[in-house]
Amino acid sequence: MTMDATPMSEALTPRDYKSDIKPVWCPGCGDYSVLGSITTALAELQLPPEDVAVVSGIGCSSRIPAYANTYGFHGVHGRSLALGTGLKVARPELTVLVASGDGDGFSIGGNHFLHACRRNIDLTYIVMDNRVYGMTKGQPSPTTEPDWAESALAPGGTGLRPFHPLVIALASGASFVARAFSGDLMGTAALIAEAIRHEGFSFVEILSPCVTFRPDEREWRKQVHPSPVEPTDDPARAARRIMTDDGFNTGILFSGERSAYAPARPEGPVVEPAYFEAEFEV
Amino acid sequence: MNEPKKITVEQMLARAFAIEREAQARYADLADQMLVHNNQELAELFGKLAEIEGKHATKIKQRAAGAELPYISPLAYRWPGTEAPENVDISVAHYLMTPHHALKMALAGEQRAVDYFEDMAKVAADGDAKVLAEEFVEEEREHVALVKAWLAKYPEPPAGWDEDDDPPMLQE
Repeated sequence: MTMDATPMSEALTPRDYKSDIKPVWCPGCGDYSVLGSITTALAELQLPPEDVAVVSGIGCSSRIPAYANTYGFHGVHGRSLALGTGLKVARPELTVLVASGDGDGFSIGGNHFLHACRRNIDLTYIVMDNRVYGMTKGQPSPTTEPDWAESALAPGGTGLRPFHPLVIALASGASFVARAFSGDLMGTAALIAEAIRHEGFSFVEILSPCVTFRPDEREWRKQVHPSPVEPTDDPARAARRIMTDDGFNTGILFSGERSAYAPARPEGPVVEPAYFEAEFEV
Repeated sequence: MNEPKKITVEQMLARAFAIEREAQARYADLADQMLVHNNQELAELFGKLAEIEGKHATKIKQRAAGAELPYISPLAYRWPGTEAPENVDISVAHYLMTPHHALKMALAGEQRAVDYFEDMAKVAADGDAKVLAEEFVEEEREHVALVKAWLAKYPEPPAGWDEDDDPPMLQE
């Protein structure tokens, strides 16, 4: 049945993908909109909630699995991609979304990020980048500007060159790279839907303001702009564009055709949970 | 605007329903935010707004007289802005915001709905669709007037309303 022919009463709406748990993010936080974008993307694709898993690490953004009415796993710091990879390999029929923040994803989980891009497993990696560790009260993160001096832990700023996640993703082999802004809920939803459709490792960096520790990021609304060019499948061209843009260019920046890696599943019967229970029995 | 050239009665009703339903969901989300952050007054106000939008959505469904409206994905509506016209901007919420701020947001949303249906009336496929769009314009104008009257009870708070000597911190 096509979407146009689906009666309203039978269609899954964004609300159907939201759990009953009330988010505890600060009012005004960009992550509320990202949650709305994820649920809208899932409704756009009409994916049964039981066929979707949202996996995360630690941080404000990593609370998302609790707020989604799908399978979810709130993992340990920086390990969301390891968890997501394991899940996708074991259950390839699931749509696996991995949610993270700039600290969780690029610092604590930086190594997993490189190798997830390299493996190109069919995951959608959503990083809510607010350029600060919000949950722990505002320390600089890998993507913080070198001269951001509002943190007591880095008086005068870190002076360090920020990590450039899109270029790193591209260089490491991600087959889909996009940048979004949380303030554009529908535009971000469209990018996430496209990332889910894409076969392979899809990386969506979402600029998601932290209104509590980075109130200056409310200005991002005035700075973001859609990419003026069509997506390219040429990684060299994409790299040049990303390296030279202003950091506020949104849209699909690279969409390649490298085949997704899917390891062969072992022959024979699926191991039942009882096997592992016996293995770890004390 | 990017709407299809000719809008039928069913498409108009589906859009009107989506506008109210999305506004209802947005106000409900804001009510939850305010409840979590202990702004009881705003939680109740946003809850009331959600309830009102829900009633509007039900009214539109009843107007469809049992006809099954088509499901149109939120991404397929092609609203004039980035979201449905009545959706208030979730990113401007603040845990210390007052009824004045909330009602100003609501007023802007209702006015966008007036503008939207005025445009829809211009691209209606036939007389019936045009009449329906004009009826929605009138209804949304009534909503504008109601919210204006409501807002009049809450004058703008003095500068510094958002200052907090002991701000809450989010902790795991």
